Amino acid sequence: METFELLGMGFQSAFALGAFLTIVTGLLVGVVAGALPGISFVNAMAMSLPFTYVMTPTNAMLFLGGIYVGGVFGGSISAIMINVPGTPASLPACWDGYPMTQKGEVRRALSIAITASATGGLCSALLLAFAAAPFATFALRFSQPEFFAATVLGLISVIAISKDRPVISLLSMLIGITVGTVGVDPLYGIARFSFGVPAMQSGIDFVVVMIGLFAIGEVIDLLATNRDLRPKKTGSKGLPIGLRDLWRIKGAIARGTGIGCLLGVIPGAGATPGAVIAYGVEKQASGRGAEFGTGVEQGLAAPEAAKNATTGSAMVPLLTLGIPGSAATAIMLAAMMLHGVNPGPLLFLSDPSMVYTIFAAMIIANLLMIAAGIGVAQCFSTLMRTPPAVLAAFIVVLSVLGAYGVRNNIFDVYVCLFFGVIGWVMKRTGFPSAPLVLGVILGPLAERYFMTTLANFKQDWTVFFTRPISGTILVLAFAFGLWSLYPGMKSAASSLARRRRLASGGER
Amino acid sequence: MAPYVRTAALLVGTALLTAPFLHSPAPAQADYPSRPIETIVTFGPGGGADLMGRQMARLIEPLLGVSLPVSNVAGASGNAGLTRLKTSEPDGYTIGTLISLTVASWASNIGDNAPEDFRIIAVVQSSPSFLFVSANSPHQTVEALFEHARENPGALTVATSGYGTQDDVTLQLLAEGGVEMANVPFEAPAERYASPIGGHTDVIYEEPGDVAQFLKSGQLKALVVFSRERHPEFPDVPTSAEAGIDIADLDNFRTIAVPAATPDAIVARLEEAVLSATASEEWNAFCQQTYTCIEPVTGEAAQTTITAFRDLIAKRLGN
Amino acid sequence: MNRAAGGDRLSEAPPEPSSRQGWAPLALRLLAPASFLVAALVLPAFMLNTTRPFRGSGLGPAAWPQAMLALTAVCAAIWLAQEFLAWRRGREAPLAAEAARPGEAYSYVKAVIGLVMIVAYGWLLPVAGFPIVTACFIALWCILGGLRNPFAVVPLSLVGTGVLLWVFMGLALMPLNRGQGVFDRISIALLQMLGIY
Repeated sequence: METFELLGMGFQSAFALGAFLTIVTGLLVGVVAGALPGISFVNAMAMSLPFTYVMTPTNAMLFLGGIYVGGVFGGSISAIMINVPGTPASLPACWDGYPMTQKGEVRRALSIAITASATGGLCSALLLAFAAAPFATFALRFSQPEFFAATVLGLISVIAISKDRPVISLLSMLIGITVGTVGVDPLYGIARFSFGVPAMQSGIDFVVVMIGLFAIGEVIDLLATNRDLRPKKTGSKGLPIGLRDLWRIKGAIARGTGIGCLLGVIPGAGATPGAVIAYGVEKQASGRGAEFGTGVEQGLAAPEAAKNATTGSAMVPLLTLGIPGSAATAIMLAAMMLHGVNPGPLLFLSDPSMVYTIFAAMIIANLLMIAAGIGVAQCFSTLMRTPPAVLAAFIVVLSVLGAYGVRNNIFDVYVCLFFGVIGWVMKRTGFPSAPLVLGVILGPLAERYFMTTLANFKQDWTVFFTRPISGTILVLAFAFGLWSLYPGMKSAASSLARRRRLASGGER
Repeated sequence: MAPYVRTAALLVGTALLTAPFLHSPAPAQADYPSRPIETIVTFGPGGGADLMGRQMARLIEPLLGVSLPVSNVAGASGNAGLTRLKTSEPDGYTIGTLISLTVASWASNIGDNAPEDFRIIAVVQSSPSFLFVSANSPHQTVEALFEHARENPGALTVATSGYGTQDDVTLQLLAEGGVEMANVPFEAPAERYASPIGGHTDVIYEEPGDVAQFLKSGQLKALVVFSRERHPEFPDVPTSAEAGIDIADLDNFRTIAVPAATPDAIVARLEEAVLSATASEEWNAFCQQTYTCIEPVTGEAAQTTITAFRDLIAKRLGN
Repeated sequence: MNRAAGGDRLSEAPPEPSSRQGWAPLALRLLAPASFLVAALVLPAFMLNTTRPFRGSGLGPAAWPQAMLALTAVCAAIWLAQEFLAWRRGREAPLAAEAARPGEAYSYVKAVIGLVMIVAYGWLLPVAGFPIVTACFIALWCILGGLRNPFAVVPLSLVGTGVLLWVFMGLALMPLNRGQGVFDRISIALLQMLGIY
């Protein structure tokens, strides 16, 4: 088969010394940047763009691809170790990864995260290499109504991840969506909620909100409790997992990978919603939903697999159609265009060796990520030995740098610190903050997909249901919502029945 | 308390050590440039403004002998970056991109910037907009498209960048000429390009450089150009005047700008560098690829381009 | 809202027999949902700064935020009702602080000082410039966090700031704030000394 031949050539050129070193460097930069609280992989990719000027176009892509793959994983290291997600996509890693660390199973948690991420990423890279063309045709059939439906699915997953009170989670999410509407609106070019401040017209970026809510809140807790972050003496439980353990969570990894691969193709969605949806699905599907949040392996593995599974599939529309769906792939497009390379169907004809080298590099990067992940995690656990105060000070500075780096705008720093204060209050009162972040991410997408759909279909809102794909996704979303509410309703009903019994028994 | 005092003393000590630098004079104009020049790109990475800004920075670097780090300050249709440019020291160490899309946004009261706040070093790229259809569209000529639109007012959908932009103004002018098509705004450029290719919209309004890869691969076909004369790279594509509706002067231009108070000597130095960059082989290859080659416009004429464009859009939008 | 949520109590703590002691706890419990409700109802009035009608067809720029605020109001109202009913039945407030570890003391004084410092840090950045403010911030935070040895704190803050400057301004070319006036000149001199400029 021709694909194998081309891919073999790709591997050959990817294993050439220069190219290979580029992948490794990118991977390391990505894992470290991702693991640093505040600095997200998109930050790191944008900052690395000038370095790619001096590389060949292929190497530039390998470098950025390495950062992408490594960075999407790296965020989980700090999420698992200090409960601060390094990138938004690692948010779910805090929920079941950090509790494992608290139980002294940090190595176990990291091994699960690395294996799941690598598996997800690898499957997705293979999909990219072998099924890019049919996948791209499939992706082109998606339009605004379908994107809207998929976004609704992401928003619904908030109910699934809520612990007990879905109304409060929904409220938090709606506040997030409202926060996301600040700034110039997507269609009419009119500023909303700017309160007369020109800087507010730029809107509020979700990365900034996430850094504020999670990093700053955690840092304040570190200060207030003077908590010791040194890894606990690990007992037998602290050992990395064996193959048998992995086999036990194969379902979680498979489900996560599937969800990630599918969501990666949808523009705008990307790693974070993929991870959150995977967590929500896993909570229902694993049969251990009630234990989620206490350090369940499946709850860590599924979102980890999902977020890295979006990396390969997000590159499908970029390479096959020349259409970047996310911030990360937009930066890759910029790097290619600066070298005068136009990605798209023509590239497959004019320079297949470049395309297949990129494919091979994505596969290699995901395999190497296991080593890079273990190495960086090792360094991080050494860092944990520094006094918490020092660590906290640097987390604050990195958070500010990260918030600033999103758009090189000091106003974003103010927004980040504002949400830092809010985040601390939310943490102390138990008001859920993850739905808010999800709302800020998905809200603006939902709005523009909704409004553009209406403009495209003469303001007829029934298209969301009558178009087969979007209708199906919406029905799925609805069913997913009910499915997630079911355990809560069941326990509410049973407690109601119990109270009735007690009341009729007169024991009260 | 002793440790605090010692720490404080050490901190004060270090502060005093840096005190001599207080007297280092502000950099004189004669040795400009002596440190990196921040290049503000007013949109995120990957777009037309970003590519132009980065290409320009890269080409100017050897000419000025200092580095030009590019920073993307996106937000509010490019106004966030311009506000930063406007409020920076007018010493030539901050330059920025100013493009037609941002100028159009001023007409919709976005941002707090005006043409008078900036000194345009040069208009370096400009390109008229076209209407494109997908290769398998039933309307393969502008006559066929306009006829269909005349017979079915509002039935055809056009992917644009939004209401209140030059895209909107063009569609409004077309409608006045009897060719009424529905405006479908896509905020994300990538989704806008994909929509006609995927068959989700009938037409796309865009400058050719932004959809170059789709033109080269034959997925999109140019039908009509909104310009006084035919585009040299598309000699077969008729102008809108040839098709019966005269629409022009709504070109997409990209400029390099500095704060208005920047001294003339520095502006002259930058202008010289920008002009020799645009004369280079590499720049030529870049602008050819994006169909945006023009003779750079500088000085008063550049300033007028901005003001005239803003006034034209504002007039069409009725305020 | 703070107290109402039960301060540092574990989320799994058994509900007290009856917290139906009076109006004060009720008011505190209702404070959060009520303020969200009011905010959701008031905010639409502040949404657009312009009274000019929007151009183009469709629902307009205000429709989506308005719908979301309406839904927010509904959710807040449901929460308010739930909270009120729970109070009448004498049940515990459903929200509780993130599980504090047993035996871990939480110093609210330190927390508030920390928050003030972080906000001050952000506020001073554009005024005095990244290098100076960051060095001071790291030093002060270490002192607050219990690291009192000046021979550790000062080198740490200076070297730390230097490394950050080198990585982010030198390598990643981030245009961080240099401060205004005198501070701008100090920052430029410092950056030239470090070889970044």
